Parts: sequence; C-alpha cells; structure tokens
Amino acid sequence: MKRLWLMFLPHEKNNHRAGILKPGFLILFIAIYLLNQSILKTLTTLKPGVLGYSSEITAKKVFDFTNTERNKIGLPSYHYNSVLSESAAQKAQDMFKNDYWAHNSPTGKTPWDFFNNVEYKYSVAGENLAKDFYDTDSMMKAWMNSPTHKANIVNTKYQEIGVAVVNGVLGGVNTTLVVQHFGTPLNGIIKDTTPEEIAFNNSAAVESKVLAVNSQHFINPVNISKFIGIGMFLLIIVVLFMDSYITLKNNTHRLTGSSASHIGFLVIILLFMIFSQQGHIF
Amino acid sequence: MKTVLKEIKKKPIEYLILLIIFFIGTSLYFIFRFEAAVQRIIIYSIITLYFFWSLYYHQKRGDLHLSIVIEYLIFAIFALVLLTTTVF
Repeated sequence: MKRLWLMFLPHEKNNHRAGILKPGFLILFIAIYLLNQSILKTLTTLKPGVLGYSSEITAKKVFDFTNTERNKIGLPSYHYNSVLSESAAQKAQDMFKNDYWAHNSPTGKTPWDFFNNVEYKYSVAGENLAKDFYDTDSMMKAWMNSPTHKANIVNTKYQEIGVAVVNGVLGGVNTTLVVQHFGTPLNGIIKDTTPEEIAFNNSAAVESKVLAVNSQHFINPVNISKFIGIGMFLLIIVVLFMDSYITLKNNTHRLTGSSASHIGFLVIILLFMIFSQQGHIF
Repeated sequence: MKTVLKEIKKKPIEYLILLIIFFIGTSLYFIFRFEAAVQRIIIYSIITLYFFWSLYYHQKRGDLHLSIVIEYLIFAIFALVLLTTTVF
C-alpha cells in the first residue's frame, strides 16, 4: 500500500518526486497508449467494421445546406441532378472498393471518369469529399472554411449538383462518405426538376439504408484514444499539483522541471483533445 | 493552486513568455480549427516552443541539467503522440 502512495506523492523514498512523474513511468504511459493504438489498428484489420463513425448526414440535408450557403451571398440555388448523384455514388463506392481517400484513385481514375461513366457531358465540373462527420452542419462548416471547397459550393459557373451519402468500411473502419459532384451541362439544358421530389424519389432507397445503418452503434476509435489520453493527462495533472504542493510545503529542494509549466502545457493539450473536430475533407 | 502561483512569482517574465506562447497558439488553433494541415503546424510549433522555453527557463534559473531536458522532452513527445492520434 505504501509503495502505491509513492507513485502519487513525493517522499524521501522516491527521491522527493512522485513515481508517475519520473521519466520511466511517463515512457510507460506513452508505451501503453501506443499499445492501445496498435490494438485498435489490429482490430480494423482482423475485424473490419467493428470500429466506426456513426452519422446523421443525409443527401437531402447536404443539398439544402449547400443551397443555403449560396443563397446567403445572393447566388441562385443549384439544380439537383440525379445523374450527378449517380456519378457521386459511384465515386463513393469506388473509394470503398479500392480502399482509398482521395480525388484520384490508385488505379488512375479521376473524378471526371465518373462523370463520363454516367454520360454527363459538362463544360465545367467539380468535386467535394468528406468523411467521418457526425452531422451535416459540422461538415458544411469544414467545407466553407476551406477556400478550395468553398469555391465549389459558391461557384458561379456550376449550375447542377449531385450528392451521395454512402456508408461503408474504409481502412477497416465504418464511416460515411459524402461526395458532391458539381457541373454545368455542355448543351446548357438544365433539367426542370423539383429538388424535394428528386431527393425523395431517387435517394429514398439510399436514405432508408443510411438511416438503418446509422442506427447501428460502432466503437469510435478516436473516442477510445481520446478517453485514454484525457484520463492519463488528468491523472498526471492531479499528481503534479499534489507533488508541487507537498514539495513546496516541506521546502524540499530538488532538481526537476517546473510543475507550473507542465500543468499549463498539459491543460492546453487537454483542451485541444477535448475540442478537436471529428471529420475530414478532401 | 497557491503552490503554482508561488512558483510563477519567482520568475514572472519567463512565465509571461510561456503564457503568451500558449495564448497565441490556442487562439490560432481555434481560428484554424477546420484546417487540419494548419492545425498540425500550430501544434508542432507549440510543442517545440514549449521545449525551447524550458531550456531558456532552466538556463536562467541556473539548473539546466540533462535530467530536466529529458523530462521536458518526454512531456513534449507524450503530447505529440496523443494529439497526432486523436486530432488528426
């Protein structure tokens, strides 16, 4: 029992430094954390689909939010084009099938190949990608804060948009891929469609599948890492406080780093971990 | 908390420099919260500046020793490992 206290409090027996704060133990913390990461990585390989990010994003929400951003700056709404949605869905499926996260596939396919596959003849075209986001609002904010992605959303040359929200396993982890395909038809003819109808009719099957899959609960690997990391840092911060209090109270002189600076540093890192955003755009 | 403040009072200028590093770094981190590449640079910068600040601080205090350098290095590496696996 006494040995346990020596891990958390400074004493003559531990050279007036709590055991946890010594380099050896800190290295052990790092090793435990890296072991956790290895286990998570192994799990994605041995049992793909166990880990994942759940999502409430739907194609209709993405379409609506995109046009909201355009309308805010006085631009007309994009027309919803089901052919572009099909090319976007094929792109998402290709990313899952070939396990990559990029505009160009490892097999050499470019985004324009997917436009050509569905025979969408365009004068201009563009693509936005997103994954691992939980909600549409966060995803849109991420796109709008990125100059290149924002340029696609508020482009004055594009007239049509297709959206695909597809669930699958990427890199051994369940996730939701969101693909936006933008374009202007070469012949200049815009299909006269009602966005609400098109979104419901054409993506009803996809949306219902999305809803069904979203109701599953995945183990979020980032949350596991965050939980362990935050736990470790909180423990170290508390021990630093106790360690410095007892040392100063006893007026013990020792050769160690500044507890105040360590506490400040660890608190900053904690804040970064707690408030980090989930999701990636490309 | 009193013990932490007592430590800060001994070297206020040095801790003020550290506070400025943390304040600017944190502000930039949240300003660029949607740009992963920029966030990465900010995090690496904060960690690096913290390490070099420790060298400066202990040099001024007259107790810059290998064991202290190793201590700060381990804290820096720990922070780097955690952030690169949770934030990115």
